[in-house]
Amino acid sequence: MPTIQPMRPRFRLEVLAAEQVAAIRSATLQVLETVGVHLPSPRALDIMAQHGARVDWQRQVVRLPPDLVVQAMGKAPRSYVLGGRAEGTALTLDGTCTYFATDGCGTETLDPQTGRPRRSCKEDVARMARVADALSSVAFYWPVVSAQDYGPLAPLHELDASFLNTVKHVQTETVMGAALARYAVEMARVIAGDEATLRARPPMSLLVCTIAPLAQDRAGIEGAMVMAEAGIPVGFMSMPNIGATAPATVAGALIVGNAEVVSAMVLIQLLVPGAPVYHSILASVMDPRSGEYIVSIPEKYLANAAAVQLAHDWGVPALGGAFGMDDVAPATWRLGQDSVYTALLVPLAGAEMVTGGGLLRASTLLVPEQLLFDDEIYHVHRRLLEGIDTSPESLAQEVISTVGPRGNFLAQGHTRRHIRHVWLPPLGHPAPVPAGQPTPEIRLRAQARLEQILAEHQPEPLPPAARAELQSILEAAARELAPAG
Amino acid sequence: MASQEVLARLSQAVIAGEVEEAAALARQALAAGLDPLTCIEDGLTPGIVRVGDLFAAGDYYLPDLVIGAEAMKAALAVLEPALTQSARERKTWGRVVLGTVQGDLHEIGKTLVATLLTANGFEVIDLGVDQPAAAFVAAVRRSGARLVGASALLTTTMPRQAEIIRALEEAGLRTSVKVMVGGAPVTESWAAQIGADGYAPDAISAVALARRLIAAPD
Repeated sequence: MPTIQPMRPRFRLEVLAAEQVAAIRSATLQVLETVGVHLPSPRALDIMAQHGARVDWQRQVVRLPPDLVVQAMGKAPRSYVLGGRAEGTALTLDGTCTYFATDGCGTETLDPQTGRPRRSCKEDVARMARVADALSSVAFYWPVVSAQDYGPLAPLHELDASFLNTVKHVQTETVMGAALARYAVEMARVIAGDEATLRARPPMSLLVCTIAPLAQDRAGIEGAMVMAEAGIPVGFMSMPNIGATAPATVAGALIVGNAEVVSAMVLIQLLVPGAPVYHSILASVMDPRSGEYIVSIPEKYLANAAAVQLAHDWGVPALGGAFGMDDVAPATWRLGQDSVYTALLVPLAGAEMVTGGGLLRASTLLVPEQLLFDDEIYHVHRRLLEGIDTSPESLAQEVISTVGPRGNFLAQGHTRRHIRHVWLPPLGHPAPVPAGQPTPEIRLRAQARLEQILAEHQPEPLPPAARAELQSILEAAARELAPAG
Repeated sequence: MASQEVLARLSQAVIAGEVEEAAALARQALAAGLDPLTCIEDGLTPGIVRVGDLFAAGDYYLPDLVIGAEAMKAALAVLEPALTQSARERKTWGRVVLGTVQGDLHEIGKTLVATLLTANGFEVIDLGVDQPAAAFVAAVRRSGARLVGASALLTTTMPRQAEIIRALEEAGLRTSVKVMVGGAPVTESWAAQIGADGYAPDAISAVALARRLIAAPD
């Protein structure tokens, strides 16, 4: 049975006060009503128009009256379950704990042999799925990189590699368009086994990115509608770039992102009332000197944490963003420092889901052992967020009395019992080596652990019948969508 | 109004990013009988060069640069038709066709590159987003552009960059035009793999790359 250790924060941090959340909500509603969102899908515009939204068909812009927004969002479930294909993999998204996932979707992998980046392929997705399956910090799997060896069918092959190599829930952020979505749903149905399980404990969910400012991606929206009709949870992520595709203020960026995400969730509620949806905003800053994309910066940390509050304000689960930092070199001081902020602030804000482990260079480069570093940071934070226990046993008055002034606690039974509860992060605090021998460098130790996992960990295999069904779905997709190779 | 004063005020309007003022001054200049080419070369160009210097020195940021370029574009919109009428052309670094590939609606990167290229003396034909390979080919054929820039922000639309290169080959235009590619998932090795002439990770390096690829002003 796989181990998943979610974070269960004992304390919270709100970066936005209640009146600030209200101000952002009010401004978001105003933007939705008066500025609108570009929605380049005739089917989606039709649905909006039928429910009283104002549609400018020429510009494909929809303006939503506040009542429509509030009523639609009122139908979205506050909590629901994401499923896996084995016992112990079901994730209940209800705000009591936080589940982390790997990052996606990179296009290059750092080759450990050459030390140079190479184009990513399906085998990378499979390999990292196995690692994710083994790590208890990973509750669900985002295919980490693009299966570029499969061209337009890459998203389906990413799903295939994922389903085969991990029993945990798989969340895809590359399936775009109705055609691919239909095949993806078929694949998920094979994993679920039957229609009822597909809907009650879906083994797959979808994330679709919006286009800042205030626009939807046509293929993204159309794929999302197909998935929602099949009962698959769908989430929308805005990635406002402060100063470029969003105003140069955090609040402004949050409003733009909020409007994008909410307009998409409203569409889904109008299409399928009560459909499970989720909200996500991952901000960044444009370097005003070069146009470069910066994620390691306070504005981003704040925005990501605040977005969680906005999601909850709308009554839906939040997907927060962590890790995925700018740097290209793993195991550096800067990377360690950058990783901490979001990986801590976002669970503290109460996010149900958090994505981000394993990729560098603003989520474009896979450095496989990075997932081990992120895993360790995750567990440090998990432990930190458990808080301090003040039960009588922990207050330790009896042993304090026994030892008295001076002396020490080494030989006490209480110490013997409790010192074992102190978790020692293996990368940061390796076991002492025999005197005279050097401690292997930290990156090498992470790589060694990765290799050990790859050598030893075998996820529960899919039954041959299921494997064969997935294969025939992939072949059918190839015939329809990529004929004559 | 003395011509020296007009030229100085045109420069200043570009430096200060005063879009309407720049257009108004350009109209006044034409009405006063000033030579449009002189207005561009001795008025606007020194202004945008100064903006570039301030940017390189770290005193101006991208928004300042973009607004300066907008002011210049506004004045050019008034002055260039007058130039065309007298059958003359301003000197530029060359024509560049830019666009975001088919199926991709992301535009900020491309727009930033377009603005910086304009600010650096290139003539930019911006096709917009969701452009099929045929549109790039047609624009190159129509304009005689020597450089194409294709932007893709999704792993699923990156392959369209390779399509553009193939389409240029099929149209017999590949040897007369250089192709540069960019976008978040795009890398040096992808560019090499598809036979592009260059890759730039951000807008600033895109300008340097464009200069290298075109090599000399027209």
